[in-house]
Order: sequence, then structure tokens, then C-alpha cells
Amino acid sequence: MIDFLSPLWLVAGAAAAVPLLLHLLRRRIGARVEFPAVRYLARAEREHSRKLRLRNLLLMLLRMAIVVLVAAAAARPVLRVSGAGHAPTALAVVLDNSLSTSVIVAGHPVLDDLRARAAQVVRGVSPDDRVWLITADGVVRGGSRAAILDDIARTEPLAGAGDVEDAAARASTLAASAALPEREVAVVTDGQAAAWPEPVSLGAVTVFAYRPRGDAPPNRAVVDARAQPVRWTPGGAIQARVMTPDSATYRITLEGRTLARGTVTRDEPVLVRAAPPERGWTTGSVELEPDELRGDDVRWFATWIGPAPAVRVAASAGPFAAGALDALVQGGRARAGGDITLASADEVTALPALLIAPADPVKLGAANRALERLGIPWRLGAARHGETSVRGAANAPVPLSDVTATLRYPLAPQPGTRPDTLATAAGEPWIVSGPGYVLIASPLSPDATTFPVRAAFVPWLGDVLSQRLSADAGLVTNATPGAFVARPAGADALELPDGDRTPLPDDSLAAPARPGAYFYLHGATRVGALVVNPEPFESDLHRLDDAALAARLRGRRVTTTDDGARFASAVFATAPRRPLVAPLLAAAVVALVAESAMVRGTRNAA
Amino acid sequence: MSTTRPDLLDPSTIAALGRIEIVARWIVDGFLTGLHRSPRKGFSVEFAEHRPYLPGDELRYVDWKIAARADKWVVKQYEEETNLRATIVLDVSRSMAWRGDESRLTKLAYAERLAAAIALLFLRQRDAVGLVRFDDMVRTSVPPRVRTGQWQRIVAALDDPGAGHASFAPAALEQAGRLILRRGMIVLISDLLMDQPDVISRVRALRHAGHHVAVLHVLDPSERDLPARGDALFFDPESEVEVPAVSADVRAAYRETVDRALGEWRDALAGVGAAYEVVTTDAPFGVPLRRAFAMRQRLP
Repeated sequence: MIDFLSPLWLVAGAAAAVPLLLHLLRRRIGARVEFPAVRYLARAEREHSRKLRLRNLLLMLLRMAIVVLVAAAAARPVLRVSGAGHAPTALAVVLDNSLSTSVIVAGHPVLDDLRARAAQVVRGVSPDDRVWLITADGVVRGGSRAAILDDIARTEPLAGAGDVEDAAARASTLAASAALPEREVAVVTDGQAAAWPEPVSLGAVTVFAYRPRGDAPPNRAVVDARAQPVRWTPGGAIQARVMTPDSATYRITLEGRTLARGTVTRDEPVLVRAAPPERGWTTGSVELEPDELRGDDVRWFATWIGPAPAVRVAASAGPFAAGALDALVQGGRARAGGDITLASADEVTALPALLIAPADPVKLGAANRALERLGIPWRLGAARHGETSVRGAANAPVPLSDVTATLRYPLAPQPGTRPDTLATAAGEPWIVSGPGYVLIASPLSPDATTFPVRAAFVPWLGDVLSQRLSADAGLVTNATPGAFVARPAGADALELPDGDRTPLPDDSLAAPARPGAYFYLHGATRVGALVVNPEPFESDLHRLDDAALAARLRGRRVTTTDDGARFASAVFATAPRRPLVAPLLAAAVVALVAESAMVRGTRNAA
Repeated sequence: MSTTRPDLLDPSTIAALGRIEIVARWIVDGFLTGLHRSPRKGFSVEFAEHRPYLPGDELRYVDWKIAARADKWVVKQYEEETNLRATIVLDVSRSMAWRGDESRLTKLAYAERLAAAIALLFLRQRDAVGLVRFDDMVRTSVPPRVRTGQWQRIVAALDDPGAGHASFAPAALEQAGRLILRRGMIVLISDLLMDQPDVISRVRALRHAGHHVAVLHVLDPSERDLPARGDALFFDPESEVEVPAVSADVRAAYRETVDRALGEWRDALAGVGAAYEVVTTDAPFGVPLRRAFAMRQRLP
């Protein structure tokens, strides 16, 4: 099988007709020359006609062969033959440098082995090939063999999972786009099952995959760590989850100081409550003892810590609200003051406030006028009677179980309102929230709803006061290394752990590659946090076997192996088509030399 | 110093210096100078006439009586002092009027000067010399004589018209045989572009008649080596036969064929007892002259 890389040059082979035409027309060319000894000439041609015809035919064939060989060489043919060499190949090497490849096995990171395999493959690249390197973070590098080898040597493990499947897909696109006879993707990966969750289609390219031999070592990792709630006023809790095959010792830090230590067993959640003295945005971490994979032994979190909210409860709020607030004050989660008002909607004159539907329907009009005056885009409808179950929002920090409403004023949003519904009754908004307000559609009395007499009421009230009605300190954004996140409104810079600040001119930003807690800044004020941690699944080092890995890669032909030497030799072994340019040119030179020798030999003999 | 001898000069160079008779005389004088002795041999006893003594004449033929009486050196000539009757048969056909290079003489010009020189050389040694010119027919016939003025007649005959389109040597050879009543020598100067059997047949007849036959085969160097003309249509000026050829392609074969043809002439003529020499027109006249002289010397 012969392929031509520049087939248009084959048209030049038509020039081979020139020697043929000259051969056929030669007896019609030339001058008429007087020559008395024509009888000798005629006799010579007669006696040597066979030899002369054979020689002329051979010369013609040689000249035609020269033209055809040069034209064929210009068309850059490649031939499938056995032996050394390979057809010009577009090779995209996918080097998995996800966090999992930094695990230490036999004293060396797995990435060292992967780099060596990738380099071994790239060393087989010839000048006629094209080669790219794609790492798990999706970065594509192209260039000469030397440049790619240098890139491989300088490839460092990521702090997160990256997206190896996306890198492989990108590699197949690159290889398929090249106008070369062979298109191959060489995947060098640790075979982590979590990195190859689904089959990835790689099109019509030949795929070779290498994964290290053997199983991954056991791994301990902090797969979840968060402050609960995000705003501590001033108390809160740290929730964490540790992946460990047996037990592990953990340490929780806050602003660098140890907040707690403990031991956790497999599948046991960690919950540590604290009321630290720090105020404002604070960073903390949950750490394990170092193991073979260091990158997931620490997980970061951020929280805002402030004083307990100062609340003034009006008589119109009812005795149950007053009682609940007393409980919160005694628990240190609230204090008496005038920052937040807790009253019937018709009596509230300023925000922030927890507004309660009036117990007397007569005050409904006054309540709606107060809502309008306060800029709250909700209105209370005509009273409805009848017991209705209340359902809390799915993400509510405090579940509202076994709550019913027997008197309620259906809440109607004003046009353009983006509802933030905390609870519904009969499918209609029952508790809604917005900037500086929370509005309840029933009076907080047992004859209107069971909510104030339920156990969830006090913690719900504490959560609302601290998280929704206290001053807005900003939000926490969780991201993986390198992931793109939206820039919070008002943020103009990102504060790095070392105190430096990076301007944020765009509406989105790439999360830093290094895990940690970063703060959004508005001027000099922290207005939120960006917490960067690796993907939890990246800590699961379980590897796919060859068959399973092959099943994930869907190409024209897929070969997987855990034998490094076989992998390196196999990449170009399926493309053993040797470029024929050099042999054809050599043959053309030989034909040229033979033709010259024949002509010169004739002249010398003459 | 030998290069100053006219017989060893380039033929075209010396031919450009004068008419045929002058050039032929230079050639023969130069040739005889190179021999270092008189070419004459044998004199008959039947007195015919006196002639002035020439250096090289044997003293025994000096007429001492006249020398004593008139103080004049003469030698006695006899009717039978002529050792040989020779006829030069010169081909003047169209093919002879050809040269492969402008710097050379045509075969005919070369042959005419060679014929004149041979005639003079033979006459110098008292051989009777005649001339027959032919193309497709006998154009000139000068009977062999040894008298004074014979050479001028021969030289004058060389200017006779000729150069017909064909060559037919047998008739000329037959005419030469008729001109020599008793055994003699016939020198054929031709490019031999003719049918060999006819010539050989006639030479055989001459040999049967007791004549010695010498053939000087005149060739232009370009006839031995095909001229480099690339792709060309070669035509014979006599027969108008055309042969297309690429000189580079057929040169080797051509040379091989010419060599074979010359060998065939040599063998065929040797077979009938005739001498044969190939003369190329770039060779100094002294070369063929020496060969013709050697042929003559071998005769009794």
C-alpha cells in the first residue's frame, strides 16, 4: 500500500512522455548532411540495428524512469513495509499530570514514570512527523521533538484533577486535523478510574494508552471541609469528611493555629464546634498526617466571624418570637439591640427586619403599604384559612418538619421579582427573603401556624438573624484549581495567602492553581472568599485495568498496556510505512548515472 | 628538421602554397632527400638518348666521351632503362569531392596531389607512368610514357572535367590494363565507395595479366569516425540514398563497420595479390608516397 502526501506532484510524471516522444520522433529531427560513406552507415545500422534499438529503448526507459522517479519522489510516497522507520505521523501525546499522578510509589512519583514513557515515545518522532503534548489541564504544546521533550521534562503535577478525558478528546482533534497519513494519540496516564468516568470518543485516530503496572497505594485524604454556617456569629462549626481505609488523625487549624485535633475512623464525619475570637474573614484547614499523596492531605475552608446580631423584638411579633429571641440571647447567638427588627409587617419602618404577617386581617392594608414603603417586592393577599403543610427549601440549613399553617396570607411577588423562597405552603411562597428582610406569610401564633411551637423554630430564627439579616459580609466561593469562577459583584482584586493582591479586571477569573483560601477585595475590604481545593474524587486512586481503560477510549484502534517498552515501540510500530522519497531519489540518481554511463560509454567507444 | 620537409607537412598547408605541379615537385624532392640515395635502379643497354647528369645518377652511365669533348656531363639513356610501366587510376567521382572539415583537403584534391607526386617519383626513376581518371566512366586516359613532358601531361590531365555522380572502377582498371602492353603496375587511388566484387574481379583479371596492382584507399578522417551532427539525415551525394541516424548512438557501430569494411577490402585484395593501403587526408603526403615507393621497390 502506497500513499502520497503530495499527490499533485504525480501530474509531473506526465513529463515522462517527453523522452518517449523524442524516442518516437527522433528520426524526424535534424539536418540533412552530405556524407559519402552512407553505405557504411546504412550497413552499421543494419548490422547493429538490434543492439542500437535495444540501447535506445534502454536509454528511453532510463530517461522515463528518471522523470517518473523524481515526480514520484516529489509526491512524497510512503510504503507499508516492515523494518525501521514509520510513515509521517501526527502524534498527540496526552500526559496525565493530574494530582493523583503525584502519588509516591517505590520512592518516586508516578508522574516520573509517565514522563519517561511520554519522552520515550516522543524520541521516536521523525522530522516528517507532527507532535503535540497535551496535559491534564488542557494546555496544548506543539513544536519540535526537542521542544516537546523539554516540555515533558518540565511538566509538574497539577493540584487538582484536571480533565484527562477532555485532554484526550482535544488530542484526537489535533491529530485528526493533520494532513498526514497516520494519526495517533498516545495516552500516558495513571489509569485512575475517577479520571476516566465515562467512555470518551476519540474519532478515527489510533490510540495507545499506557498505565503503570500494579495497584495504587492506599490513600488518606480530606475530601470535605467547610465552615457551618459560613457566617459565625460568633460561633460555628467545622464539618469535614476524611477518606481513610482505617483510621486517621486530623488537625483543624484556624488562621494557622490549631483549633482541634482528633482521630476519625472510616466513613465517620468530623464536626467541631467553635466560637473563636477572630473576627472578619478567616481561613482554616483540615489536615491529615502526610501519606503517599500529599496534595489531598490538607483541605481549606473560609468563614466570616462576627458578633451576635442585635435584635429588637416588637410586641406585635408575638410571645413565641420574643421567647425564641430570649433563648438565642441566652445562647450567645443574639443580643438585644436595634440593628434588626422583629415585628408585624405593618409596624416595621426600617430594614433589616423579620416581618410577620399581621394577626388581624384589618391590618393587611397597612402591612402592604409598609412593604411598599420598605421596597419589599412582595404583597400579602387575602387571608386564607385551612390547614396546609409547610415545606422548607431544599437547601435550608434548618429543616422545617411537621409545620402546618391554618391562616396565611398568600404572598404575591411584584413584577420583576426574583423570588428567594425559604418555605412554601400549598405550593405557594410562605416565607420569602431578600436584601435585609425575611417575610413570613402567617402570624407567629399557634392558631395560625405550628411553626413557633416547633423545635426547629429557634435555630431557624438564629440562622435567619445571623445569615440573612446581619450585615452582608460576602459569600464563599468554592472552586477547584484552575477552574473558572464568576467574579463577585464589587470585588476588584484577589488577596493571595502571602498578602499580595491580583487585580480582577474581568467578569470571571481562573481559580489559582495552588489550593488555599483567597479573599476577594473591594478596595482594602474583604468582600468574600475563594476557597480552592482539589476535587474530592481525585483522592480515589483506584486504577482501571487494561481492558477497562481500553473500554474508556474509543478510537479507530485502541491498544493499552502496562509495559513501558512495549508501549514506546508500539506507538510507531502500527505505522511502519517508510517514506520512499530517499529510495526513489536514490533510484533516480542510479538511473541518471546509468544513463550517463551509457551515453559516455557510447562516446568513448566512438 | 624533418618537419621542414615538404612531404611531411600538413597536406592542406602545403597544398595552399601553389599549383599541383609545384606542390608535387616539392613533395617528391623532400621525399627523395629523405631517402639519402638515388631511387634509380637498373638501366637497359639499348641507347635511346642523352640527358643531363643529375646528382644520384650512377657514374657508370656518364658519357665520358662527351664529358671529355664538350666538358658537359650527360648520361646515356636507353630504351630499356624504364623498369616499369605504371598507370595511376584516379577516382574523380562525386564522393571524392568531399571533406569532413573545412581545414582539410577534399579526398579528390588530396588524391590529385598524391597522384602527381607518385607520377613524378616514378618518372624520376625512369618508370613509364600513365594516368586514367574515372567516375562513372573513364574521363581521361594518358598512356604511360617515360619521356620528358610526360609528367606535365599528367598534371594537365588532372584538370580535365570529371566528378560524375557514380564510381565505376572496373572500366578504368580495364582501360589501365589496356594501356600497359606488358607487365606493369597499376595504382588505384580511390575512396572505394563502390561495389567490391566488381573491383576485385577486375583486379584479379589484371593480376592474371601479370600486372601488379596497388590500391590506395583514400579516406577523410570523418569517414572513419562519424561526424558529430546529432540527429541528422545523412545522404550519399552520388546515390542520394538517405539514412537517418543519431551520430552519438551509432558512432561505435559505424566505426566497427568501417573497420570491418576496410578489413574486407584488405583481405579481398590480398586474396588476388594486390597491395592495399589506407590513406587518410590528414596524413602528410610523404606517408602514402613512401608506401607507394615501397610497393614499387618490391617489384623486380
